Amino acid sequence: MENGLRVLLLMLAAGALAGCASVRAWLDRDQTAQEPQTLDDLVIAEQEDTLAPPPRVIEPEVERRRIKRPKIDTENVEIGVHYGALSIEDFGTNPSYGVSAAYHVTEDFFLRAELGRSTAGRTSFETLAGDVQLLTGDERYFTYYSLSLGYNFLPGEVFLGRGLAMNSAFYLIGGIGSTEFAGDHRFTVSFGAGYRVLPTDWLAVHVTVQDRVFESDLLGRSKLTNNIEAYVSATVFF
Amino acid sequence: MSGAREYLQVFVTEPYLGLHTGPGRGYPVFHVVGREESVEVLKRRTEWFKVRTERGVEGWAPQHAMLKTVLADGSPFTFDLGNREGFTSHRFEMGVFAGDYGGATLISAYGSLSLNPQLAVELSLGQFLGNASNGVLANLGFAHVFLPERRLSPFATLGTGVVNIDPKATLVSPTDRTDQTAYVGGGLRFYLTRRFFLRGEYRRYVIFTSRDENEEVDEWKMGFAFFF
Repeated sequence: MENGLRVLLLMLAAGALAGCASVRAWLDRDQTAQEPQTLDDLVIAEQEDTLAPPPRVIEPEVERRRIKRPKIDTENVEIGVHYGALSIEDFGTNPSYGVSAAYHVTEDFFLRAELGRSTAGRTSFETLAGDVQLLTGDERYFTYYSLSLGYNFLPGEVFLGRGLAMNSAFYLIGGIGSTEFAGDHRFTVSFGAGYRVLPTDWLAVHVTVQDRVFESDLLGRSKLTNNIEAYVSATVFF
Repeated sequence: MSGAREYLQVFVTEPYLGLHTGPGRGYPVFHVVGREESVEVLKRRTEWFKVRTERGVEGWAPQHAMLKTVLADGSPFTFDLGNREGFTSHRFEMGVFAGDYGGATLISAYGSLSLNPQLAVELSLGQFLGNASNGVLANLGFAHVFLPERRLSPFATLGTGVVNIDPKATLVSPTDRTDQTAYVGGGLRFYLTRRFFLRGEYRRYVIFTSRDENEEVDEWKMGFAFFF
């Protein structure tokens, strides 16, 4: 109510100011319209010109309105969750889950940070020996993070029937990170490939397979272990 | 604010503006917008703009084509680009490194906020994995870039942070400890292409331990980063 009144008053004020300015412009035009008739008049006019102060430039009394440029929504960040299966070398295949965040730097490259967890099962030795436990409960958690660079290798479109086309891309991904497993942190190199389909501009569904490789001496000898994870993820762009 | 979002309107000045089905160079052009016609800019993803024509057709236009459009008042439509100019002067940086921290393998990431082309505030996080101990470190400091307009530009860093060292159980004093640190360092950054650059860095840390003497650690790291 009060706002409405304020707006009305402001409009009135703006209108009045604009009106005054135009009235002044008309008066000025009238003065300039009087043209000198004779040579004498011209001389007098010239003398008056030199004596009189220069005509006052009308200063705008209303501040120029600044045009606000609507901000463009930049959607380069992609966050999401994933769920799948992780095959921990010697410890069987188990469900895994995690979160990820990615930043799309160019149409070809993106950076992705991932954090995930799985729980190791029993080795065949433990199963056969019966009552032997190689790891305690907490040590069975396989927790990893990775910082990776992805390359959209084969961008394309997926067609569902006649009426629906969804953008897609096949990508390669590789990075470094760390894995906490069996009571120790290990430097981990991960690499793999994924496939992404976008049902809408802001939603993506991925299927990714990555191998997480690190050196382990858990079972006596030091060796490189390959821990292959396959997972489905849902991400949103914003 | 209520109602529909207001979008920026730009006018086509070239003979036509081609709209692609997706935000990528391979997606086919399915619609063209003629000269003098306008489009609304809905969103931007990397180097592509999603636009809507006066007739309501939505498609993606590349940034090099959008650079040739004008605003309603006739001024050119400008926006930040991933190029050398952006490398010289930008607001944010992020990057990932691999390296060596006192003999341990280091994984590190950083983010920076530029106060001007030469000075930036940087936050870096890292984890080191060694034979004797593991640990994490977090640092906040300043980076000063010399000659930011060059493709290869050196920089100096200075800052402070904390380190948490977790010695492996086989060692004599397996106590987990957190100490404050300070560092001084320098490095080089090299512009690659688009928004990417390489960054190599050396830092010397002083760890203020609770014992009689402080520890000093050298850190070398190399990685790539991007600006936005």
